[in-house]
Amino acid sequence: MSGGAVAATAAEQRDIRQHPSGGGATESKGVGTSKWTPYLLLAPGFLWLLVFFLIPTIFLLAFSLYSGSLDSGYSFEFPGQWSNYKAVVDYWPQFARSFVFAGLSTVFCLALAYPLAYFIAFRSGKWKATLLVLVIAPFFTSFLIRTLAWKTILADDSPVVRFMNWSHINDLLTLLHLTESGRVLNTPLAVVLGLTYNFLPFMVLPLYASLDRMDPRLVEAAQDLYSSPWTALRKITWPLSLPGVVAGTLLTFIPAAGDYINAELLGTTKVSMIGNVIQDQFFVVTDYPTASALSFVLMLAILVLVFFYVRRSGTEDLV
Amino acid sequence: MSRRQVLRTSAAGAVAMATAPLLSACGTKPVERSTLPPDRSQQDRSVSFSNWALYIDVDENDPSKHPTLDAFTAKTGIKVAYTEDINDPDELNAKLVPSFQSGQDTGHDILVPTEEIATKWLRAGYVEELDHALLPNVTANLIDSLAHPAWDKDRTYTVPWQSGCTGIAYDSAKVKPVRTITDLLTRPDLKGKVALIHDWRDTVALVMLDMGVDITSYTDDQFFAACDLVQKAVDSGQVRKFTGGDYTELLANGSVDACLAWSGDIVQLQYDTPTMTYAIPEAGQLIWADAMVIPQQAQHRANAHALMNYYYDPKVAAQVTATVQYICPVKGAREEMARIDKTLVDNPLIFPDADFLKTTRTSRLVDEATQARYTAAWVKVTGG
Amino acid sequence: MATTTAPSQPAKVARSTKRPGGPIRWVRERIIPILGSLVLLYMFLPIFVVIVFSFNLPNGRFNYQWVQFSTQAWTNLCAPGGMCEALRLSLVLGVLATLGAVILGTLVAFGIARYRFRGRSASNLLVFMPMATPEVVMGSALLTWFVTLTFARGITTILIAHVMFCLSFVVVTVKARIAGLDPRLEQAAMDLYADERTTFWKVTFPLVLPGIVGASLLAFSLSFDDFIVTNFNSGSTVTFPMYVWGAAQRGTPPQINVVGSLMFLVSLGIVLVAQVVQRRRAKA
Repeated sequence: MSGGAVAATAAEQRDIRQHPSGGGATESKGVGTSKWTPYLLLAPGFLWLLVFFLIPTIFLLAFSLYSGSLDSGYSFEFPGQWSNYKAVVDYWPQFARSFVFAGLSTVFCLALAYPLAYFIAFRSGKWKATLLVLVIAPFFTSFLIRTLAWKTILADDSPVVRFMNWSHINDLLTLLHLTESGRVLNTPLAVVLGLTYNFLPFMVLPLYASLDRMDPRLVEAAQDLYSSPWTALRKITWPLSLPGVVAGTLLTFIPAAGDYINAELLGTTKVSMIGNVIQDQFFVVTDYPTASALSFVLMLAILVLVFFYVRRSGTEDLV
Repeated sequence: MSRRQVLRTSAAGAVAMATAPLLSACGTKPVERSTLPPDRSQQDRSVSFSNWALYIDVDENDPSKHPTLDAFTAKTGIKVAYTEDINDPDELNAKLVPSFQSGQDTGHDILVPTEEIATKWLRAGYVEELDHALLPNVTANLIDSLAHPAWDKDRTYTVPWQSGCTGIAYDSAKVKPVRTITDLLTRPDLKGKVALIHDWRDTVALVMLDMGVDITSYTDDQFFAACDLVQKAVDSGQVRKFTGGDYTELLANGSVDACLAWSGDIVQLQYDTPTMTYAIPEAGQLIWADAMVIPQQAQHRANAHALMNYYYDPKVAAQVTATVQYICPVKGAREEMARIDKTLVDNPLIFPDADFLKTTRTSRLVDEATQARYTAAWVKVTGG
Repeated sequence: MATTTAPSQPAKVARSTKRPGGPIRWVRERIIPILGSLVLLYMFLPIFVVIVFSFNLPNGRFNYQWVQFSTQAWTNLCAPGGMCEALRLSLVLGVLATLGAVILGTLVAFGIARYRFRGRSASNLLVFMPMATPEVVMGSALLTWFVTLTFARGITTILIAHVMFCLSFVVVTVKARIAGLDPRLEQAAMDLYADERTTFWKVTFPLVLPGIVGASLLAFSLSFDDFIVTNFNSGSTVTFPMYVWGAAQRGTPPQINVVGSLMFLVSLGIVLVAQVVQRRRAKA
């Protein structure tokens, strides 16, 4: 998904702010006043989502209980081949690793995106629109091509890696098991960096939208009351930007957990993620039932995590 | 969406999910093979040929041009749509079997799978029988050692494209000679700089050879023991990556110093890096031959036959082999090669002699179910 | 020497006593812009590399080391076999998927934004769900569905998948735009005796149009750049991202970098032009 996706969220939050009365359904009618109009309008789109999103998800569950093989055909034998779910136990390291990597890259994204979003929202003056363009623009280049560029940037003999070796940063990272001796490519760190990079705009734009809505005078007021800039950030800016943080972290974490491209291009066998496993189960082993089981469990796990996260962060209304 | 709404909808969702098993009573089954589609060779005067990368001759000045294909078009008027989209045999299989199952046209007239995949397909009826009346060159010129393989006795379904060997490759400027698979998997100076081939039919077979197993009759236990050895090497950080044909890039840019490789690739690399060495493992190397097949529902069968036949003309075969530098399956190509590139004529990796052939081994054939088990176990090692 | 208390002492006490001087202060005051610019630079680093290496003439199959400057990749764009076909296919799919998603999505957006009806919150949830599902799961769900239906995987299935996941993003974008409309404009039109249909087509729709255009661009870029869902559902068809993926294993010709650079420049150009147009319109 490209960074333009986040422009959508940002646009929504920005426009809602501009017209406080326009946050929900307006009382005025649109075209047609019949009771059925809304349902008619929704029907084609929802039918599409029903047939090509909801029902396939149900079939994913169904498929996870099938037995058979690609060559001989699959069939459902009552009560279903639950042994397909054994794979979830076999591959728990990849599950865990996916969530850890996704979590790490979300945290890094937040750390990187916050200054940038703050900069654009409060300190950019007349450059605001241009900067927003600059944030979105790189993400219209194919993300695969950009990830391949990271392969070049992090190659063993590139200036970046040579600097890291010379300054012994790499030795420290090796101790933390983030890289391996003398190289950065094909290590866990490379995968996390790749994930961070790919999902950065998903974090920047919701954060920006949230910060943009904030009244800067609140910070001034805090400083008038002798608070240091750091305290103002902690007690005023951060809590008010929380909706943006939640939206951004969700938009980053969810796709990152299921990603396999970064692990494939920048990682190594030892750092495969659950996305790699699912892909291989479908396209190398051709064991569709097991692959479906893994996929379904991934979806459930993410739904549960998201549910508790949204609950805990206290933001009830996301969309 | 508020918490309450989420709860409500997930309850509805749970109900839907619970009824899923009822819906799944359908299942899937392979569609019966329909009759042959009409052959559009005359009308379309085209043929679609899908191959591995760098497995055909290229024009020195313009890598996108393939002189033998252009000459074919000039000679017969048949246009060739040539794509290099085969990377990995299992992936090829996984992508195409669903089409085969539903009786659909794959969009290609000639494919070049590995022997194992070709065997799988011909047993399942996914490839067309060849009409040898249209392949006189093949009948006349196919070298004897490849004429009657156990899995396709009279070449009813397949025609070899190129043959090759799998062994050890290393850069002699960077590391001391690597002589055995054990060296590759355990030597400390190679730590983190080793690449293995993603296909278990190459890697595990070589490991078993190195363990002293006779791979013409190995058992499950021996296979899994070999997998464990590789797993140990992965866990210790010895192996950097599992690759398809992209080990050439890793060798070239120094990411790996030694790997398992296919012979022709290394001969090609030697032009740029003369210190690149292909070494026959002490326990033996593997020999294989990728096969051309015509998939079911192909629309231009006559043209496909014509193309296959064309590549068994010794002159053309020599041209291809001069570029790809694999073992040529065509008799008479060696003499033609003397006219193109004398240095290749005596290269045992291209025109193997009896001594060379003594070092080669082939694995036993395994049935579908066993292949599936082996692939599933191997996939755990390759980490995906 | 007479010791006199500096007259500014009392004033100094009131200020924070921790103010460092000189260059550190300069950095501290500008820390946000500096950090922000660094992050921006980080975001652009791969783009630089992509553009720079598009001018490379690699020795072998792989474009990983700078060899020499050459524009041959730019002049022989379609040299790598299959790349331009894949590119063409991605462009066509992008246009078709955008069309489908925008039509369906705009209808849905109007429905949700403009009407109060039962099931409105469930509708919101349904629209949100594809955005909250990892692509691996969506791709595999569609694949199992198509396999069950023995529906051939190819261009049709790719199109279906693309319309599906673009739909949600279109709805969210257009809905935001609709929600941001000033209702007084429509009321004014109706005060001037315009009936509902005229109001819609002459007032509402033109005002929502920028949102629809934005949603189209968004849908197009999502569809063009999609890899995971496409890979699962394409059968043996090859779109441009799939071509790049295969090339990553076979050897990446510099033409791929050319396409990447072009994509970046074109989209940058479009967005900048849109900015200029908007600014001009605001002035007018």
